[in-house]
Amino acid sequence: MNKRTKFREHVLQSDLTWKKMVHFVTDSLDKKEQQALNETLKALLHAAKQIVGTDHGQEAIESGAVFLFKIFHNRDCVGQEETKAIKQMFGPFPSTSATAACRATCYITSRLTEQQLESLVQMFEEKEENHRGCFGKNVTFSLEMYDLEDCEELPLNGDADAERHVSFDF
Amino acid sequence: TDHDYHHELQVQEKDQATGKLHSLPALHPSRMAERFFVLYRPPPKTNVPALVEEFLERAHFIAQDLDWLLTLPHDKFWCQVIFDETLQKCLDSYVSLAPRRFDELVDTPTSVVQMQECLQRRVFLVFLRMSTHKESREHFITPTVYGEIVYNNFLFDIPKILDLCVLFGKGNSSLLSKMIENIFKQQPSYYSDLEETVPTILQVFNNILGECGLQDDRASPEPQRLAEKIRVTPSEMPLQELKDVVLYLCDTCTTLWAFLDIFPSSSQTFQKHNFLSRLASFYELVVTELESAVKKGKFEDRSLQMDLWRRLSHSRRKMVEIAHILINQTCLQPILESSYETVHPFVEEFLEIFTTLLQERRFIRDYDEMFPVDEDVSLLQQASSTLYPFQITYRILNVHDSKNC
Repeated sequence: MNKRTKFREHVLQSDLTWKKMVHFVTDSLDKKEQQALNETLKALLHAAKQIVGTDHGQEAIESGAVFLFKIFHNRDCVGQEETKAIKQMFGPFPSTSATAACRATCYITSRLTEQQLESLVQMFEEKEENHRGCFGKNVTFSLEMYDLEDCEELPLNGDADAERHVSFDF
Repeated sequence: TDHDYHHELQVQEKDQATGKLHSLPALHPSRMAERFFVLYRPPPKTNVPALVEEFLERAHFIAQDLDWLLTLPHDKFWCQVIFDETLQKCLDSYVSLAPRRFDELVDTPTSVVQMQECLQRRVFLVFLRMSTHKESREHFITPTVYGEIVYNNFLFDIPKILDLCVLFGKGNSSLLSKMIENIFKQQPSYYSDLEETVPTILQVFNNILGECGLQDDRASPEPQRLAEKIRVTPSEMPLQELKDVVLYLCDTCTTLWAFLDIFPSSSQTFQKHNFLSRLASFYELVVTELESAVKKGKFEDRSLQMDLWRRLSHSRRKMVEIAHILINQTCLQPILESSYETVHPFVEEFLEIFTTLLQERRFIRDYDEMFPVDEDVSLLQQASSTLYPFQITYRILNVHDSKNC
């Protein structure tokens, strides 16, 4: 198993499952918006399928959809950073699928109030909060490193050494 | 309850398969997570986008994994550190391969610099956590057990400690001093290891002398084979070889100095191998030759010549500073701290050292320029003139005569 696969497995093992997310979003919106919402959720899942592939089953696709939602929930287009994050997680992917995922996420977040979105964001941050604080967060760390010290100029004319004299008259 | 991870301490964990609770030692391989740390590779020497991207991806994995490691609870952290070989290899690869500030300069992209800085902090914090047996009032390991753990699992060794000093010593000296002092205090076997490492360091000096076609006869009394007698002096060396020797010398001197600067109490261990005298004779043999080679060499690239000169001057300073730390720690400080009755052996040691160093005329001249010997002698006279004024005057007269020879 290579590092990329292991990393993907770890990151996608989120406390926020696709089902929980769908449940939250569905509950937050009016009934009349349900159909459009269902279509959008389907589009997000489909985009995830295109990006994740079908080798790892439905669960991996759903985790991928949650991952894409996390990436795009505060973005309105697919930027360099997002492209890099998706590529790192899943390897090469069709850019149209990323655009579709971004569009679907934007639609969902636009239908939520600020408070609702905040609660949703908190749900996928819960996993990190479950950990105790990181060791050393209060440690003052300096990036300074030993460097070459300033030195005498390179003597190009004559031997400066011969002219130096040291006294040991104590 | 306090978490003192003594061998007998057991924790209760739920079996993943059966859901039943079972007991196992707090420090047990089964409690280690499968994380698969990757090896660190230094930034590419050229800014080829694919290579930069490859570096960034690898470094990103390491940064993420170290973040995860640092958030682990105390007992899980130690399980990982002890049993996860991939973690140890990752840390080893970082400390030995991470770029030093004095390495050859390349025009590094900002993204690489930022990633490198991010790794630098995380690696330091992991070593800090590993150097601390008492993380909090609730989370600690008894000093004896800690000493066994770090030593028996090779969490630290002398080369690694040397690397830590050169990588982190400048900006984090007081914290790093405490870390290393604690490791040596809890596990005195590190002093024996250091003692065994000193000949290897001296061998590095011999290797450099060998490369330069110079030989310290005192270091290897065995007769030379005929084939070995045909040697190239630094002035005759191909430029690349000269460059390699100067870079190697610079790295060795800086690393050694960084270690002694951070952990000066190791000086006694170095002096068990008469290190000072060997250093001075190495200096005497190699410095003038290399300086001459750099000065007179036919460099097409003038900046390379300037760079080598700078590295050589830096190495010279570091060797003199190393000597000063050793003299200070083994003689001067004890002289200052000793009582009238106990000062004698340190004064003798001081005089013996200087009698030996005086044979190395270039070395003693450069030493005197940075650390005036008359100041030390004046201190010595104040400390011991009433004890044996004649001996000191006699020895110093010898010093004076020797200089005039």
